Amino acid sequence: MMNLLNENLTLAPCKYEYLDHTADVQLHAWGNSLKEAFEQCGIAMFGYMTNLSTVEVQAVHTIEASGHDLESLLFHFLDELLFLFSCDPFLICNKLVISEFNTEGEEFRIECKCYGEEFTLGKHPQGTEVKAITYSAMQIIIEPEQNNYEVFVIIDI
Amino acid sequence: MVVRSYNDELKYLEKINNYCWRIKIGFQPNMKVEGCFYVNAALEKLMLEELRNACRPGMTGGFLPGVKQIANVAALPGIVGRSIGLPDVHSGYGFAIGNMAAFDVNDPQSIVSPGGVGFDINCGVRLLRTNLWEKDVLPVKEQLAQSLFDHIPVGVGSKGIIPMNARDLDEALEMGMDWSLREGYVWAEDKEHCEEYGRMLNADPATVSMRAKKRGLPQLGTLGAGNHYAEIQVVDEIYDKWAACKMGIEEKGQVCVMIHSGSRGFGHQVATDALVQMEKAMKRYNIETNDRQLACSHINSEEGQNYLKSMAAAANFAWVNRSSMTFLSRQAFAKQFNMSPDDLDMHVIYDVSHNIAKIEEHLVDGKPKTLLVHRKGSTRAFPPGHPLIPVDYQLTGQPVLIGGTMGTCSYVLTGTESGMEQTFGSTCHGAGRALSRAKSRRNLNYTDVLRKLDDMGISIRVASPKLVMEEAPESYKNVTDVVNTCHAAGISNKCIKLRPIAVIKG
Repeated sequence: MMNLLNENLTLAPCKYEYLDHTADVQLHAWGNSLKEAFEQCGIAMFGYMTNLSTVEVQAVHTIEASGHDLESLLFHFLDELLFLFSCDPFLICNKLVISEFNTEGEEFRIECKCYGEEFTLGKHPQGTEVKAITYSAMQIIIEPEQNNYEVFVIIDI
Repeated sequence: MVVRSYNDELKYLEKINNYCWRIKIGFQPNMKVEGCFYVNAALEKLMLEELRNACRPGMTGGFLPGVKQIANVAALPGIVGRSIGLPDVHSGYGFAIGNMAAFDVNDPQSIVSPGGVGFDINCGVRLLRTNLWEKDVLPVKEQLAQSLFDHIPVGVGSKGIIPMNARDLDEALEMGMDWSLREGYVWAEDKEHCEEYGRMLNADPATVSMRAKKRGLPQLGTLGAGNHYAEIQVVDEIYDKWAACKMGIEEKGQVCVMIHSGSRGFGHQVATDALVQMEKAMKRYNIETNDRQLACSHINSEEGQNYLKSMAAAANFAWVNRSSMTFLSRQAFAKQFNMSPDDLDMHVIYDVSHNIAKIEEHLVDGKPKTLLVHRKGSTRAFPPGHPLIPVDYQLTGQPVLIGGTMGTCSYVLTGTESGMEQTFGSTCHGAGRALSRAKSRRNLNYTDVLRKLDDMGISIRVASPKLVMEEAPESYKNVTDVVNTCHAAGISNKCIKLRPIAVIKG
C-alpha cells in the first residue's frame, strides 16, 4: 500500500452505462483515449457491485495485466480487478489510473493504480455479484479522428 | 454466422410433434449431427421470437439466439446423437443455457468445452425434508426466515463462516462431501442422496490455479447472489404418491428446504482459467468451431484432462458449499423449534448438479458407448434401475430437482427410460430467463414486486434490492410450462410441486 497523502483523489466523470442482455449485463464505456475507456470500463464493473458513492478512498493497490491483443488485454485487466475484489484485499474501487498502457509489440501491458477501500457489509450496499468476464460480443472501437474510444464487454452475473 | 431471412431460417426447423422441434443440418455450417429442442406452444413463441429478433436487418455484434447456439454445438467434433435444447433454453456463453451434448470419449477428435459447463461449475439444487407442517411454521415464519438469513452468508462480498485454511481447502477439493462428513457438517446418509455421492474421484487440486483457490477460500459456505437462493417450501401437490413416499414426502403441507447454489468464485475462476488455456489449445490443435466462445480442446489432450480434473475439484467445492449451508439451515431450524435436526427428520432428499460434464455409459444406435456428457442448465434424470442412482430410488428413478424463481413453484421430477433414449438421461433445470435484467428493472417496480410476494404469503429477505426486480417471476419463463413440457415429452415425470413461503437471496 502506498501513501495516499500526495495523490490526486478527484474522481473521474462517469463515462459508462449498462446495456441489456438476457442473462447477463453488457458494460459500455467510452473516453477521449483508449486508456480512459479501459479505466471507465473497470469502474463500471465496480459500480455494478455496489453504490460507488459509498466508497471512500482509503487504500491504493497496483495491478498488472497483459494480453496478446487488445481484447485479451481488456479481458485480463478486468479479470485482475475482479480478483482484487474477490479475495484479500477485497478492494472496491471508485478510481482507476492506468499508469502504463502499452499496446505495441509482442505483449500488450497495463499497470494500473486502483483506489478504494475494503468492501464492508453494512457500509457498502450489496449490488450484483460478477462471476466472470467474457469475450462474448466484446467490441473495442477506436476512432482517433472523432476522438472517440469505446469498449463493450459482457460480464457474467 | 450464416445470414438468412427469418423465413429462410424457418425452413431448417421442423416441428416433429407438439413438444419437439428438429434443427436440420445446414442451419449452421459444419453441423455433424442434427439439433433439437423441446418446447410447448407458449415456450415455442419465446424461442422463435428470439430467432426472429436476431434476423432483423441491422442486427450486428449482439448475441446469438439459443437455437443458433444449439446448432453450433452440433458442429463440434466428436458429438454423438443430437445437440439438445431443453424447454428452459436461452442464449448463453458458447453453449445455450439449457443445452446438453454428448461426445464419444473413444473418438480422438472429441472435445471437452468449459462453455458446455458454464462459469458456475456444479451449480445445483439440494432439497431437505422436515417432519414439520405448514401450520407449525406459519406462526414463526418471519423469525425463521430471518434466522436462515442470519445463518447463511448471502450476497456479493459476503464471507463464509466455516473455519478454513489453504490446507483444508485442498482436502475439501479432493474429498468433496467426504470432507464435510469428516469435519462433522453432514450426515453419512446425505452422501447417499447426492449425485456422485458428493465426490468426483478424478478431482485434482494440483491442476487448479492459486487464483481460483484464493477466490474460493473466503467464499466457501456462502450462498452467492443472482438466481441463487435458500427457500422454505411447502408441498403443494403430489402427482406420484408412491415415488413421493419413497422420498419421505407424505402429504400436502409438509415443509421442505431448498438450497440453490454452486461453486462460487472458485468455479468461476476455474472456468475462466480453462477458457484462456483452451483458446491457445484450439490454435495448436487446429480445432475449428463456429463461435470463438466455444473454446474447447480434445478430451485426451493435456488441456482437456486438466480441465476435467479442475472441474471435478470445483464440483467437489460446490458439494462442500451446499453441505455447509445444509448444516447452517439445520442449525437455524433446530434453534427455532428447539429440537435436533435429527428429530426434525431433516434428511437430504436429493442433490442435483445442473452445470457439469460427466463421463457416462449410454446406448448409441443400440451399442454401448462411453460418452462425455455436457449438461449446462440441464439436470441428469436417470431412469429406474440405473446403477448410478441410490438404492432408495432404484424403483422410482432419480429425483430431479427443478428450482423455480423467487415466488414461483419448484418441482421434483423423476427420471424415465424414455428420457434415457431421447436426451441421454437429461431434463430441464429451472425456469430460464425471459426478460433481460435491465428490462426487468425498467418494467417492474420494487414495491409492486414485494407487495405481490406478500399477497402470496411469501416472506423475503434479500441482500440487494435490485435483485428483487431482476429475479421477479415475470422475468422468467413459466416454470410450470417448462416442467409440463418435460413431462409431456416423456423425458421426466412430475412427482411433487413445492410452493415457497420464505425466500432468502443474495
